[in-house]
Amino acid sequence: MSDQAHTRTEHDIAPGDEEQHSVAERVIGYVVGLGLALLLTATSFFIAGTDLVWQPSIPVALIVLAIAQMGVHLVFFLHITTGPDNTNNVLALAFGLMVVFLVVGGTVWIMGHLNANMPPMDQIMKTRM
Amino acid sequence: MLGKLDWSAIPFDQPIPLIAGAIVLVAILAVLIWVVAKGHLPYLWHEWITSVDHKRIGVMYILLASVMLLRGGSDAIMMRIQQAVAYQSQGFLPPEHYNQIFSAHGTIMIFFVAMPFVIGLMNLIVPLQLGVRDVAFPTLNSVGFWLTATGALLVNLSLVVGEFARTGWLAFPPLSQLSYSPGVGVDYYAWSLQISGVGTLVAGINLVTTVLKLRTKGMNYLRMPMFCWTTLASNLLIVAAFPILTATLAMLLLDRYLGFHFFTNEAGGNVMMFMNLIWAWGHPEVYILVLPAFGIFSEVVSTFSGKPLFGYRSMVLATMAICVISFMVWLHHFFTMGAGPDVNAIFGIASMIIAVPTGVKIYNWLFTMYGGRIRFATPMLWAVGFMVTFIIGGLTGVLVAVPPADFMLHNSMFLVAHFHNVIIGGVLFGAFAGFEYWFPKAFGFRLDERWGKAAFWFTFLGFYVTFLPLYIAGMLGMTRRLQHYDVAAWRPWMFVAAFGVLILSIGVICQIMQIVVSIRNREALRDRTGDPWDGRSLEWATSSPPPVFNFAFYPDVRGEDAYWDMKASAQQQSLEHEPPEYRDIEMPRNSPTGFICAFFATIMGFALIWHIWWMVILGGIGAFATFVVFAWRDHDEYVIPADEVAAIDRVNLEERRGLVSMAGTI
Repeated sequence: MSDQAHTRTEHDIAPGDEEQHSVAERVIGYVVGLGLALLLTATSFFIAGTDLVWQPSIPVALIVLAIAQMGVHLVFFLHITTGPDNTNNVLALAFGLMVVFLVVGGTVWIMGHLNANMPPMDQIMKTRM
Repeated sequence: MLGKLDWSAIPFDQPIPLIAGAIVLVAILAVLIWVVAKGHLPYLWHEWITSVDHKRIGVMYILLASVMLLRGGSDAIMMRIQQAVAYQSQGFLPPEHYNQIFSAHGTIMIFFVAMPFVIGLMNLIVPLQLGVRDVAFPTLNSVGFWLTATGALLVNLSLVVGEFARTGWLAFPPLSQLSYSPGVGVDYYAWSLQISGVGTLVAGINLVTTVLKLRTKGMNYLRMPMFCWTTLASNLLIVAAFPILTATLAMLLLDRYLGFHFFTNEAGGNVMMFMNLIWAWGHPEVYILVLPAFGIFSEVVSTFSGKPLFGYRSMVLATMAICVISFMVWLHHFFTMGAGPDVNAIFGIASMIIAVPTGVKIYNWLFTMYGGRIRFATPMLWAVGFMVTFIIGGLTGVLVAVPPADFMLHNSMFLVAHFHNVIIGGVLFGAFAGFEYWFPKAFGFRLDERWGKAAFWFTFLGFYVTFLPLYIAGMLGMTRRLQHYDVAAWRPWMFVAAFGVLILSIGVICQIMQIVVSIRNREALRDRTGDPWDGRSLEWATSSPPPVFNFAFYPDVRGEDAYWDMKASAQQQSLEHEPPEYRDIEMPRNSPTGFICAFFATIMGFALIWHIWWMVILGGIGAFATFVVFAWRDHDEYVIPADEVAAIDRVNLEERRGLVSMAGTI
């Protein structure tokens, strides 16, 4: 009988645990991540205020940049990879995304319907007239 | 200096809370004096309060839940009596007091009875069933428990210092906003839930990690006992859903404290957003409570039928399906709020669909029993009682999932009867089944069967006599939370319900008597083998109560029903071969971190409720300092030498050999 329960977990590491890398490699990873995150942040602020691009595309651009930002954080800071040692992390991420999608999507849908069906009194008056 | 706090906070003019508070205070003082005078304080401090042993923490959770069950139960008795007498009169509870009672009853029963009870059972049993020595984060576990206790303490403090919310158990705005609830009641409610919510989240993270990362050799996911699966599902839901509650209450508190407009009627606030968000937590919460109960029933039904669980894989699938679908049904709590037919129809259908995996489970339990040699011990009685009761509750649930029917029944006594039917029939019966089933494991002696069976029958009967009349009253148009009423047709049903509460109270007394009698006769009821019920999973493979390290060796699991297989093969091969060489075991050291953190959290919560800002800062700094000190600790483990492990384990092996050889002769 094995005396160590966690010896068998070689293909599945806990969130936060990492495989061993040299310090230099890790520092480079964080610096690249920081650079990308700053770049994306700066771009977002720039896009929001500029009139160089077609105005209606700004919200879409911001959403794209936000999602890219999340990706950078996940890869460089939270170390999500597709490797076999990362099943738990990826599953946790998928579950989290699903819940966020259900709750946020559901909320937008529900509240939109409520607003359409139950507008404030002054708006009801307008539609009746 | 003391914010809003002054002598007017003590309700000198209201005899009921004052007397109740005085009695509780005297009782607490008496217990404290007894503990100190008898010299038990060091024992209590070293062995329980600072313990990071998952078994001890589990027991303390259950103790907290039991005490709070008595508090919430007293509220229930008062409400039933009030509605029985308040026909064309004011009854004995003035409206502002009655409103506090039903709010406190709901809050306490969900957050401080059902939650700690199921979390306590999971804490106590899951590491044992997985064949490991502790949970993933032992000290965090203790922090979680003590923060839950802090929440319970604050709620009870509101009885004598200030007031509790008069808003119902979910504190809907605009009623819960400062303009309609200027007192401290809602603040008591919100801050105690914020603090205990942190504790619950911590427990959830801990148990998810435990199930995912700490399993003994050979314990694949598909060999885990059903209770571990439902624990996993339930704690995934805790991790996903409790942040929603925290965020929603935080927004409500910002409205109340700093003049924000999240849920106000004016300045762009949206009251309906509160209902939406609180139920996006509230519905998963229902399954957080009932899934562990399903797991308990799976264990109990399988053990007492002497058969493996029927359809184990379908059960796993059903559990995980419920885990996901429970996030798709929350709108059914507010069908009447005015969303369109599309929205109502989709959520109505989703609510009916979630009944399907639940139905699968019911059939699996029935087929497990079918052809089995069933022993009707007390836990099995609770399980069978659950099946009957829960089906009725489930059927009325599918009924109110139909939006047109819900428009008739929304906020009526029918609804009250429905959710008591599923929460009492599901969660509470499950908690009692688990309590009876695992008590010998926790304390080393069985509970008295006669008193246990009496408790079951009184509770079972009392439940029906109390809540079936409420269904009828609901059909007759009675709405919930009425302090008095003028409709003669409702009154007989209120009398019957009040009589039902009397029967339920006898059940509670039997439950208490059962514990008292069992403690007295503990030598006769002693369980020496560690396997009093002829169990199937690994918690029965160690002694009762288990040693602090649970297992001298990590068990080697070869299939489902791990311990059953071991017993079967042990009968053929016999256990006579020498045990392998014992090794030193490292265990986490006890830590007062949890208790001290909770101490400061209590100060901070109390100060926030009463706007005593210097004290808020003091509590915050204290809690943070505790955390820093713990983070910089040097030693967090101690070693149990191999000799000691061997000595403890040999005693257990001797007893067990006797059991196996006896089983061989039968």
